[in-house]
Amino acid sequence: MTAALEIAGIRKTFGDTVAIEALDLTIPAGAIYGLIGPSGAGKTTTIRMIMSILFPDRGSISVFGQGSALEAKDRIGYLPEERGSYRKMTVGAFLTYLGCLKGRTRAQAFGRADRLLGRLGLPDVQARKCEELSKGMLQRVQFVASIINEPDLLILDEPFGGLDPMSVRLLKEIIAEEHERGATIIFSTHVMAHAEELCEQIVMIHKGRKVLDEPIAGLRRRYDTRRILLEPLDPAANLLALQSLPCAEAVKLNDSGCDVRLREGTDPGDAVRAIAGLVAPARIELARIRLEDVFISLVGGSGAHESQEALRTHLQGLSSTGAAA
Amino acid sequence: MSIKLQRVGLIAARDYKAAITSRAFLIGLLVMPVMLLLFFVLVPRILNSRSPQVIGEVAVIDTTGKVGAELARALLPAEIARRRAVEAEETPLKAASASAPAGASGSPIPNMTLVQIPPTTDIDTYKHWLIQSPDTSPRHLAIVVVQPDAVTRRPGAPTFGSYALYTSSKLDEGTEATLRNTVRGALITTRLRADGIDPDSMATVQQVFQPDAVVVNPAGDRSAARGFARVLPFACGMLLFIGVLTGGQLLLTSTVEEKSNRVIEVLLAAVSPLELMYGKLLGQLALGMTMTVVYLVMSLYALAQLSLSGLLDPMLIVYVLAFYVVTYLVFGSMMLTIGAAVNQMAEAQALMPPVIILLAGGYSLSGFIGQAPNSAFSVAMSFIPPANTFAMIARVASSAPPPAWEVWTTLLISVVTAMLVVWFAAKVFKVALLMHGRPPSFATLIRWARSA
Repeated sequence: MTAALEIAGIRKTFGDTVAIEALDLTIPAGAIYGLIGPSGAGKTTTIRMIMSILFPDRGSISVFGQGSALEAKDRIGYLPEERGSYRKMTVGAFLTYLGCLKGRTRAQAFGRADRLLGRLGLPDVQARKCEELSKGMLQRVQFVASIINEPDLLILDEPFGGLDPMSVRLLKEIIAEEHERGATIIFSTHVMAHAEELCEQIVMIHKGRKVLDEPIAGLRRRYDTRRILLEPLDPAANLLALQSLPCAEAVKLNDSGCDVRLREGTDPGDAVRAIAGLVAPARIELARIRLEDVFISLVGGSGAHESQEALRTHLQGLSSTGAAA
Repeated sequence: MSIKLQRVGLIAARDYKAAITSRAFLIGLLVMPVMLLLFFVLVPRILNSRSPQVIGEVAVIDTTGKVGAELARALLPAEIARRRAVEAEETPLKAASASAPAGASGSPIPNMTLVQIPPTTDIDTYKHWLIQSPDTSPRHLAIVVVQPDAVTRRPGAPTFGSYALYTSSKLDEGTEATLRNTVRGALITTRLRADGIDPDSMATVQQVFQPDAVVVNPAGDRSAARGFARVLPFACGMLLFIGVLTGGQLLLTSTVEEKSNRVIEVLLAAVSPLELMYGKLLGQLALGMTMTVVYLVMSLYALAQLSLSGLLDPMLIVYVLAFYVVTYLVFGSMMLTIGAAVNQMAEAQALMPPVIILLAGGYSLSGFIGQAPNSAFSVAMSFIPPANTFAMIARVASSAPPPAWEVWTTLLISVVTAMLVVWFAAKVFKVALLMHGRPPSFATLIRWARSA
C-alpha cells in the first residue's frame, strides 16, 4: 500500500524548548490514524509541520510522495484546532473562497458546501455572515471547509471540541463516509475515547516523542487487561466467594458489583463460564482496554516527579473536559 | 517551492473586494479631497470672514513736517485697496500664494485714522498712549515717529533717515504689515515730491505686469505657470504618500485581524505562506492604485476646468504610478511584516513609528526638492532609498525635471530595494504568522528572518 504520509526523523524546537524530537511516522493511504497525547505533547506542532505551516529543523516530511504538503495542498483537508473565519463574509462566500483556493470551481465548491451544510443541520446559513452564527454552528461550517475539496488526506485537530452530542454524531458519520470514500484520515485528540471509537491505528506522543504506534486491535491484544466485570443478578450475592476460583487472582468490589483480575494464562472464556456458574450475572463482560491505561503504562513511570496517579488524573481531567465540551 | 498564481490572485481579489467595499475605505477615499477643499478654500474664507475689520487710530510724530499729510491720504481704506489691486495685477503669483490667512493682502482692509502729534513730543512719555484697557474706543494701534532726515538727506549721508514704529500689543501681523507698506509708500512719495518728481509718473514707470514664462523644449513650447509648478511636486508626493499609507495601513490591519481571529491557519491549510503574503500585497497594491487613479482623474478634471491640463506632462502620470508601485512594495512589506509579527493593533503601534517616520520624511522632502530640483541634496536624495521615490517624483514634477537616465536609475534602485524588503518580509512572515504572545522587538524580527 502506498504511503499518504511519511515522516522521517523530524525535530522541531521553539527557542530552547524541544517540541518534537526524532519523530518517524508512516501512514498508509486510506488509513484512519489517531494522534493522541495530553495537551502540549506536540500533536498540533506535528500537524502544522505536516501541513507545511511550520517547518522542521531536521528531518523530512513527504505527503503523497511530494516533498512537502505545499505541493499537495489541493488534496489535503485540514481542520485546525484554532479555527477562524472572516467575520464579515457570508458563509457561502467563505466556503466558496476556500474551495476555490483548493482548486475547485466556484460552482463545485458552492454545491458541495450546500450539501454538507444540509447534512450538518445548517441548510439556510449560506447567505448569513459568519459573525451571525453561534460558536457551534461556526464550528460545523469550519468542518465543512475542511472537506470542501473532497480531500485525499483529511487532518482533523480536535474536531469535536465545543460541539453538542448530536453534532458530534453527525461529524463522526461524515468522517466515516470520508474514510469509506478512500480518504486517509489523521485525527488528533486528547479525548482518548474518541480515538478508540474512530481509529484503526493509534500514535501516542508524549513530550514531543512518539511512545506508541500500533493498531487498536494489536493494543487490545498486547494490553489485555485480564479483567472481568461482573454485575450480579442478586445484589446480596457473596462476591468474595469468587476468590476461591482457580482463575481469579483478585476480586475488587465496587458499587455495581466486582472486578475480577484473572491469573496469568487463564482463558477468558473459561473464566466467564466459571464466574457465571458461581454467581448468577445480570451483566458480565471482559474489561476493554483503555488508551488512558496504555498511555500511563508507557509513560507514567518515566518521569521522576510525575506519578502515575497524577498523570491519570491529568488525562481523566482532559477526557472529561473533552467529553463535556 | 512553486507559487500558484491562481491562489495569489484569489487572495488578492478577496482582500481587494473586502477593502474596497468597506465603509472605512470609502470614507478614507473622500477624506483627502475634503481635507484639501477645507485647507485651500474653506479655511481661508472662514478665517477671513471671521476676522473683523481693524478700526483705530495711528499717531504720527512727524519731525519733518512733510510726511503727515501724505500718510493720512495713504492710510485711507480706498487707497489701501487700490494699492493691493495694483500689486495683485503686477505679481499674480505672489498674490495667489498670499491667499493664506496670515497674508496681509488677504485680510480685511483696516480703517486707520491718522492722529498728528506735535513733533516736539517726547516718545518715551507718549508711548503709554498705546496701553489701553481692552474695551476702550477708539483703539490706539501704533505710533509712527518719522525721523528728521527721512525726506531730505543730511549733507554727506548716503541714505535717507527712516521711521520708528511703536505698536499696541493687540495689533495683528496683517494690519502691521499694511501699516509698514503704507508708511513706506508715503515716505517715498514725499521724497519724490521733494526732488520735484511726480510720484504718479514714477509709479506708472515702475509698473510692469509679470507674464508667465513660456518654456521652450523639443516637445513644444508650453506656458509655465509658476504657481502650478510649485504645487505639482507637492501634489505628486501627496499622491504617493496617501496611496502608500492607505494601502499599507489596510494591509497591516487585515493581517492583524486574520491573525487575531485565527483565520490565518485555515488559509495556510490551502495556500503557502508566500502565496498568502504575495496575495495580500497585491490586493492592497490594487486598492492603493485605485485610490491613486481616482485622485489622478479628479486632479486632471480640475486642471481641465481651469484650462491648465496642457501644463501636465503625460509621462508624469506614468512615473507617479510606477513610483507608487515600488514605494508601496517597500513600505507595504514593512507594514505587512509588522502585521504578521503582532497579535493586536495596539501592539503594532509600538513598531509603526519608524516606518511612518520614513514615509512621512520622504513625503516632506517633496516641497523642498520641488523648489531646488537640481541641488546636490536633491540629486543625492533621489538615489538614497527609501526616500528616493519621493525625491525623484518631486524633481520630475518640478519646472526643471532631471534627465531620463536619472529617473530610470532611481526606479531601478527602488525596484532592488523593494525586492530586498519583500524578501525580508517573506522570511519574517513565514515564521511570525503563527506566533502569539509578547510582540517581538526589531532584533527578534531579524532573528526570525535568519531562522526562516
